Amino acid sequence: MNKIAKLFVTFISAITLALVSFTSSFAKVEGEYIVLGSAISLTGKYSSNGVHTQNGYNMAVERINKMGGVEVQGKKYKFEIIYYDDESNPKRAAQLAERLIKQDGVHYMLGPYSSGLTKAIAPVTEKYKIPMVEANGASRSLFTKGYKYLFAVLSPANQYLEVAIDLAVEKNGGKGVKIAQAFEQDAFSQDVRLGILDAAKRTGSEIIIDDKLPKELNDMAATLAKVKATKPDVLVVSGHTKGALTAIRQISEMKVDVPMLAMTHCDAAKLSKQHGKKSEFALCASQWHKNLSYKDKFFGSGKKYAKDFQKEFGYDPPYQSAESSAALLVFKDAFERANSFDRDAVRDALVDTEMQTFYGNIKFGPGGQNVAKPMILFQVRCKGDDCENRVVAPTKWASDKFYHPIPKWSERS
Amino acid sequence: MNKVKQKDLILYSGLIILGLAAPYLFSAFKVQLTYLCVLIVLAMTWNLQGGEMGYNTFGNILFYGLGMYLTASVQVGMFFPLAEWTESGGEKTFVHTTAQYFQGICVGLLVSAIIPAIIAGAIGYAILGLRGHYFAICTLGLGIAAGEIAGGIEIIGAGQGFTTPPFPAEIVDTEARGKFFYFLSFALLVGTFIFVKYIYGSRFRLILNAIRDNEDKAEAMGIQTMKYKIVGWMCSAFFCGLAGGIMGGLIGYIDSTDVAFDGREMGVFMVLMAILGGKGTLWGPVIGATLFHFFKEGLWTLILGWQYVALGVLIVVIVVYFPEGLMGWLREKYPERFGEVIDEKDRKAQVELK
Repeated sequence: MNKIAKLFVTFISAITLALVSFTSSFAKVEGEYIVLGSAISLTGKYSSNGVHTQNGYNMAVERINKMGGVEVQGKKYKFEIIYYDDESNPKRAAQLAERLIKQDGVHYMLGPYSSGLTKAIAPVTEKYKIPMVEANGASRSLFTKGYKYLFAVLSPANQYLEVAIDLAVEKNGGKGVKIAQAFEQDAFSQDVRLGILDAAKRTGSEIIIDDKLPKELNDMAATLAKVKATKPDVLVVSGHTKGALTAIRQISEMKVDVPMLAMTHCDAAKLSKQHGKKSEFALCASQWHKNLSYKDKFFGSGKKYAKDFQKEFGYDPPYQSAESSAALLVFKDAFERANSFDRDAVRDALVDTEMQTFYGNIKFGPGGQNVAKPMILFQVRCKGDDCENRVVAPTKWASDKFYHPIPKWSERS
Repeated sequence: MNKVKQKDLILYSGLIILGLAAPYLFSAFKVQLTYLCVLIVLAMTWNLQGGEMGYNTFGNILFYGLGMYLTASVQVGMFFPLAEWTESGGEKTFVHTTAQYFQGICVGLLVSAIIPAIIAGAIGYAILGLRGHYFAICTLGLGIAAGEIAGGIEIIGAGQGFTTPPFPAEIVDTEARGKFFYFLSFALLVGTFIFVKYIYGSRFRLILNAIRDNEDKAEAMGIQTMKYKIVGWMCSAFFCGLAGGIMGGLIGYIDSTDVAFDGREMGVFMVLMAILGGKGTLWGPVIGATLFHFFKEGLWTLILGWQYVALGVLIVVIVVYFPEGLMGWLREKYPERFGEVIDEKDRKAQVELK
């Protein structure tokens, strides 16, 4: 027994030594670098969107650094980001946020991907008074908890598809419609659902199917069978990238005829590329589209951003990337206006943010959400086998007319 | 005999002093240390079933998750309407006063220990008749089912998740929260260790071992195996529930399948840690959990995106090279240090026979 005890003591002391040697952390601003921290989903169910987010961050860091960086008190600084992989798990995300702040000495945070993970990180950043600009946590409950250090460049989740219901009602001659809906059981999708419930109440519409989809979803045949039987006017599906892909795959396989199909995450799922004509007429909520007319001096217009992004990463930027890039622009702007690295000064500068970026106007409401930017809807339209996302609402930016109703599968070539 | 005890005393007091001093020595690592305490507790309690009783359970995550939801629900529900707290679109913000927060968490933890234990008793009564693989598969289902069910219950936030009460804002010290949860988990660890050590010196352990080695024989000898199996599981559930309650408060956000009933991670980790250290030993799970946690924290961020591949390799290496765990391996290598007497003559005689 005493040998084991000795062994254990040796083991503990080795660990102690290792820990002590680890404790050398670096500071928020190191030399000419402003260090930002972010936990990103590089593995797990959000890995594809996590990478979109990371690409967006990296693209903006590179661009801002190349164009002179951030000027604070007459000195030029560059951005640098420390990334960790949160494995799409809120528990891990909270732990990593703590680690970024306490061990890596990060004083400014960028958000993770998804509402659930942002919800897990926000209490940590709030506790340590670390300003966090996040670009991918849209759940409304993030903005009702009274967080003071949380800033979101995007519109809250409940606004995503409300407009779609309004459109359906309008096409129905102002009368209420029958809605079938299926949402993944996660914070974001459930918030989109709340938005639909509000819209249904407002327009006198009836919800005839209200299904929950599991996380890691890859089958929604049960819901679609019900849709086939009950013939609703609108089918609403939300479940991140996998939800969008699964919906289109099974709707086309089962030949489900529904006059209107509203979804989220079509562009992140590269729907028009992956499913081509099968995805035609799908209506998608988006935070951003490259055809919008916003501009800034770093990325130029949305079209220019899309082109540069395509060149750098080899695919069209989904809005998740665009909003992530915008988060960096917000930080740069706030640092320069605060003209200081004091966290509270930066936080106060963030509160006063009012700017235009290629991604849209940004101005934070009292809860920290962006109140200056509307959501848009686009529809997948095809010419031959070449499919594209065309903006259909709001009318100010619409490049195409909203096509309604979706032709039956028997009539589609 | 006395001498050994004295050595033990030095070891234990040394460890307790280290444990108490740790949050001050490694201030930046408090959260990781808290995780470590919880992981050790989970590995030790798993070991009671998997190691001592020979029942490989994947169901302990059920009690961990239950504890998490119960603590948070009680902590909120004692002072505010729970449904309004978890309603995501709600515009109301409730704030716990300092006293409410601590009262809530104390009562919450109490509930989160007792109810999982009762549930373990009830479920155990139903399924502990299953043996071997059947029991393992059945318990695997428990955790998954619980996650899906919790994801549909509106009052605890359903798919939206449950944000646990934030640490009282009146306490200005930003370190206080970390210290509070660390000492809570450390106290739990010490409590669990004392309890498990007590079991190791008792007849109860021998009965559990008898069940593992040959349940039918144990029964033939007049042991009411079912009773002991249920009591054993209830003990594990008691501590798992507490561990879950503490983790819920620490993480601050409970998600049904990713945080609470996290069978894919925590559920597998607790088994892995116990096997890594050596199941069926007192120190095995402690060492296993410590090693595992350091491996995870130290290496995982270095191999960004590949950590699960590394974990897979680790599992293979453990199973192939250390099937009996680290303690088992040491025991085979240096049996005399574990108090096993080897007859040198007999050993040589056997070698010569070849």
